[in-house]
Amino acid sequence: MNVYAPILILGLLAFAFALFSVVAAGITGPKRYNRARLDAYECGIQPTPQPMGGGKFPVKYYLTAMLFIVFDIEIVFLYPWAVTFDMLGIFGLVEMLLFIATLLVAYVYVWRRGGLEWD
Amino acid sequence: MGLEEQLPSGVLLSSVEVLAGYVRKSSLWPATFGLACCAIEMMATGAPRYDLARFGMEVFRASPRQADVMIVAGRVSQKMAPVLRQVYDQMPGPKWVIAMGVCASSGGMFNNYAIVQGVDHIVPVDIYLPGCPPRPEMLMDAILKLHDQIQHTKLGAHRQAEIAELESAALTATPTIDMKGLLR
Amino acid sequence: MSEQPPAGSGSAAAGDVVPAGAVDLGLTPVAETIGTRQGAFGVSGSGDTSGFGGLVRPIEMPGPSERPYGGYFDAVAEELELALADAGLPAESAIEKVVVDRDELTMFVRREHLVQVARTMRDEPGLRFEICTSVSGVHYPADTGRELHAVIHLLSITHRRRVRLEVACPDSDPHMPSVTSVWPSADWHERETWDMFGIIFDGHPSLTRILMPDDWPGHPQRKDYPLGGIPVEYKGATIPPPDERRSYN
Repeated sequence: MNVYAPILILGLLAFAFALFSVVAAGITGPKRYNRARLDAYECGIQPTPQPMGGGKFPVKYYLTAMLFIVFDIEIVFLYPWAVTFDMLGIFGLVEMLLFIATLLVAYVYVWRRGGLEWD
Repeated sequence: MGLEEQLPSGVLLSSVEVLAGYVRKSSLWPATFGLACCAIEMMATGAPRYDLARFGMEVFRASPRQADVMIVAGRVSQKMAPVLRQVYDQMPGPKWVIAMGVCASSGGMFNNYAIVQGVDHIVPVDIYLPGCPPRPEMLMDAILKLHDQIQHTKLGAHRQAEIAELESAALTATPTIDMKGLLR
Repeated sequence: MSEQPPAGSGSAAAGDVVPAGAVDLGLTPVAETIGTRQGAFGVSGSGDTSGFGGLVRPIEMPGPSERPYGGYFDAVAEELELALADAGLPAESAIEKVVVDRDELTMFVRREHLVQVARTMRDEPGLRFEICTSVSGVHYPADTGRELHAVIHLLSITHRRRVRLEVACPDSDPHMPSVTSVWPSADWHERETWDMFGIIFDGHPSLTRILMPDDWPGHPQRKDYPLGGIPVEYKGATIPPPDERRSYN
């Protein structure tokens, strides 16, 4: 444990320095606010009004995330097969092809239903 | 809280002023406000031959939030004026302005409807730098004069006194139009 | 108003066949005078310190040219006339005059037929002016009834040709059809022409000011727009802007 002590101390010092900088600047600096300073920076023009809370969340992000999860888990299941390929032989090949075919049905469904179109 | 403005005067304040001035001038980050031909000379000043990096100023910040000095390099048109003011307002203090070139100082050769006759109509200027465009050495001279100014800026109670003194001097000074007889 | 005789050597008389590919530089078209200019830089009265105050010059436009124009200009003019005739538009009603001056072809088009002429120029295989490089404006206050001109520069990549279309409109009715439906790149050029000259392009998607601030009054590049300079203060004196300075004679 004492081998890692210097790194921990360094980390603590860095954190403490950053904290000190921010707090000291906040304390010693004057509070001069103007409306422009509180506005978002948009290259000097008046910032485009944004809806409160970021507006309605577009549902297409949800769809993309779900599709990613599904096919990512498929890939996760393919990794053990890749590792034990020799031992499983033809049996493994047939099983995995059936597995991929099942997911292929799902993929074709999503594709033809327009789930892969972004807009 | 603004401790900086409430520091009591004394010897300790003078040393703090020296230290604060040195620290502030040594890494004065410019905000990019190159508008026209003077911007080319500003870029040349940042380039290796006339290096601005030796003063810690080669980082031209794109965001005014991280900038200390705004070098207005080039002519400011009527359409650009509110943008200039907005960028200046978005800079955190302490901030300084260098009007680089004659167009930024006074409208330059463009005395017409489209060009603002001097950015001091819009932002308070610390250093006026004439030239069309000023050579990189001239820009560095202006920057070094600004560094000098920053080094000798007072803090706290000294600053209040200095401001009052400058104001009274400006109120009793000769207006430019009355400075006659200088050509002799 | 002085009448300018045809200048140039007159080496090729009308009727000679000019070989294709050669542009005859010697035959300048007869100039049309639309006014006289006194002094330079538009200043009148005592404000002119330029020294050109005594200058008197006629304001001349190059007059219409006769065929053959020389070089590829004949091909362009013929193709355009044929194509317009095919579409049922006689060339005389669309094209007011053709000017070949200083190696460049300018066709003056009537504003009613501008879009059709533009589309023909773009689509005809023999013309194929795919690119509109610029739309700019000119203001001739002396030419009553035709004060504001819009000048459209065209470039053909397939045939490597450059041509100019000029459209005139009076100041009292400064409307002109927009060519953005034919060449979308003319969009901002037309906005600039509106901003600087006040020519309203009908059919433009969004005709707003582009160079001046949005609420600017007036159109700055017209000849009667003031320079807008302010007096400059020096130590001990103020110098007025260049168009208001005294002359010393």
